[in-house]
Amino acid sequence: MWKNLHNLMEFKFSICMGINLLVVGLILMLFPVWIVATVDSWIGDQEKEIVNPYANDSEEIAQGATYFRLDCAFCHGIGAQGGGRGPNLTLGRWEHGGTDAALFRTIERGVPGTEMPPSVHTNKRIWRLISFLRSVGAASQAPVTGDRESGKNIFLTKGNCSRCHMINGKGGRLGPDLSSIGTSRSAASLADSIRDPVKEIPKGYKTITVVTVDGKRITGVRKNEDTFSIQLMSPNEKLYLFFKRDLKEIIYQSNSLMPSYGPEMLLQEELEDLLSYLDALRGK
Amino acid sequence: MRYHKILLTLAFVVLCGFNGKAQVTAQRLLEAEREPQNWLTYSGDYAGRRHSTLGQINTSNVKHLRPQWVFQSEVKGKFETTPLVVDGVMYVTGQDNLAYALDSKTGRIIWRYRHPLPEKIVGCCGRVNRGFAALGNKVFFATLDAHVVALDAKTGSVIWDVKAADNSKGYSFTLAPLAIKDKIIVGVAGGEYGVRGFIDAYDAETGNRIWRFHTIPGPNEPGNETWEGDSWKHGGAPAWLTGTYDPDLNLTYWGIGNPGPDAYGDDREGLNLYSNCVVALDVDTGKLKWFFQYTPHDVHDWDAVQIPVLLDLEFKGKPRKLLVQANRNSFYYVLDRTNGEFLHASPFARQTWAKEISPDGSPVVLPGTDPTPDGNYACPGVEGGTNWMSPSYSPQTGLLYVAAREKCSIYFNSPQKYEEGSVFWGSSFQPVANEKEWGALRALDPTTGKLKWEFKYYSAPWAGALSTAGGLVFSGDMEGYLLAVDAETGKNLWHFQTGSPIFASPMTYSVNGSQYVVIPSGNALFSFALP
Repeated sequence: MWKNLHNLMEFKFSICMGINLLVVGLILMLFPVWIVATVDSWIGDQEKEIVNPYANDSEEIAQGATYFRLDCAFCHGIGAQGGGRGPNLTLGRWEHGGTDAALFRTIERGVPGTEMPPSVHTNKRIWRLISFLRSVGAASQAPVTGDRESGKNIFLTKGNCSRCHMINGKGGRLGPDLSSIGTSRSAASLADSIRDPVKEIPKGYKTITVVTVDGKRITGVRKNEDTFSIQLMSPNEKLYLFFKRDLKEIIYQSNSLMPSYGPEMLLQEELEDLLSYLDALRGK
Repeated sequence: MRYHKILLTLAFVVLCGFNGKAQVTAQRLLEAEREPQNWLTYSGDYAGRRHSTLGQINTSNVKHLRPQWVFQSEVKGKFETTPLVVDGVMYVTGQDNLAYALDSKTGRIIWRYRHPLPEKIVGCCGRVNRGFAALGNKVFFATLDAHVVALDAKTGSVIWDVKAADNSKGYSFTLAPLAIKDKIIVGVAGGEYGVRGFIDAYDAETGNRIWRFHTIPGPNEPGNETWEGDSWKHGGAPAWLTGTYDPDLNLTYWGIGNPGPDAYGDDREGLNLYSNCVVALDVDTGKLKWFFQYTPHDVHDWDAVQIPVLLDLEFKGKPRKLLVQANRNSFYYVLDRTNGEFLHASPFARQTWAKEISPDGSPVVLPGTDPTPDGNYACPGVEGGTNWMSPSYSPQTGLLYVAAREKCSIYFNSPQKYEEGSVFWGSSFQPVANEKEWGALRALDPTTGKLKWEFKYYSAPWAGALSTAGGLVFSGDMEGYLLAVDAETGKNLWHFQTGSPIFASPMTYSVNGSQYVVIPSGNALFSFALP
């Protein structure tokens, strides 16, 4: 019994030694990498440790474009604007993280449970793809110059945006929550949506009118729909949930319930202030 | 004492009898219709009809159908499998080449097997698998890394495991094998990676390969001249969906996939045989008896792998042995399966690419529908007017049920050089903005292709159809509904929300006197029965 215990301890000890040696070995092996990473980490947080060595190089971007056409365009579309299978990659909205490191990880490992496969590329090729993606989403890196405080004021008062949009728990519910909109959309695409909301209405916010069998008409944003049912929210934030068999008619509308903020409603300068405020919304 | 002996003898007889029955003989597969309590092959029978003579669940009681059990795979992803049921045991393959034997009454696991896969799999469309084949006391499946594996049906132990091709070059398997006589027949996937497609037959006992049919003829073989230069070497033409079999003619029928690169055809001028064909092969030798090409020199990725359904029907007043296929190119075809003679074609979904199908079976292609560098609009879209989801034929109604997709694409192209293990698509496809996709379950007259009825889906579907003697057709939609419609009228009689898009075809079986209907949805398997 004692002997066994002793053996067990010895065994454990040797495992510990083994792991220690392994760790020391790994540290020695990774030492040069560590130096580079440490230099980078002085600049930013941990996610920024890895950066694209081929960023903003036009030749590398061209190479990346070729690889993209070969390997990615089948799902993500020829100009990365979305295809039958994969999402639009030009909006600066990165579902699985938008840092270089996160993009690298997404391309290298794929997205389990989706049709996005792990990459069969060399690291070099992945970085060139990322260079290309950054170039087509270039607007996302355009500097935002407006006044953030003024933008916030416009959001709350003149624009009346908070009537429909929630930020950090305050505001309306009809439109998308904007608490972290700065991380998922470029200022350019936000400007598009403010000036001309019809241009791209996200899923869950398309305008719809339903007519019930007893003739009642309800207009709202469509939260979801399928063969047998439909779910919508009216402008007074009431959720309406219907079986289609209880509806006489469903009218799909091309307008958006969000008003268009043209130059007559929002001067260019005011728009830039608003964009500056929105761009700074990075969640909590 | 004497009673004990009698009892022992009886028990022995019963046990032996049971053991004997657990053997799926080649004869049982031929006569699958005689044992509707089981589901012995991917399509339910060799003719590819996906029809069951079980009628306990019928048009009047289907509204009471409810889930009996749910089985969930431990990996995220999707089941595209059709389970087999053999004498109460269900055999299921899943995402990442997981495989299970389940108690078909409860969904409880009897054994589990995970095929060891390399870290990186070169394959196009999800780490999926569509099911097992059963023969003798083994079950067979084909893997993402291009192996064919035989497992012991009672334990899941590996009996043999053979490598058919090299996955790093894009060869893989996603289909359920087809067991005929003493052979296990499989077709390879990889049409997006510049493979040279093939159909293989393996000895079910040993795993030795008996024959290989190259879907692209080699030099000095007839058909090789339909490929420009060396393009035949990487011309694709996979065979990634289970074929059918006519025992009287001793022929097995397989649909062949797209040529590669998919969208760029300028470096592979010619018909590109046998891409987008149906081929009739001698089961014993793998020799080609005849072929018919649906889409010559395809540039739209319209694989012709859809289940070739074998029907014996009167055609224009004469009884004929037919092969019918609702093709991905949106036309429904009727052929004579003894010789491949073209008999009829008509669209079953919206198409804009062909003026008509000529009397010889070749399409009269409309200009401006092929891919270009700037893109051309064409219907059907790249996913096709239908795809790999199974059709169903009901002898009771005499109708063929097809999942139809109403979705078009913008087709682009650009030249591409072959690189081993890389996608070989020759460009890309985009959805059409402001054109809402939709779909339908359609009932066709099998000899004329005329539409009898349709049940509309909100989105273009990826679920196949099952018809039963209860006067029902079961299918599913992209929003997660398993549904049952009246096989005569298409009226919806029942639906159930499974919670995930359905990428599979339903099947049915019976155990202890209860009929069950099974649908895979997401990484779960739902089994329904009457209360």
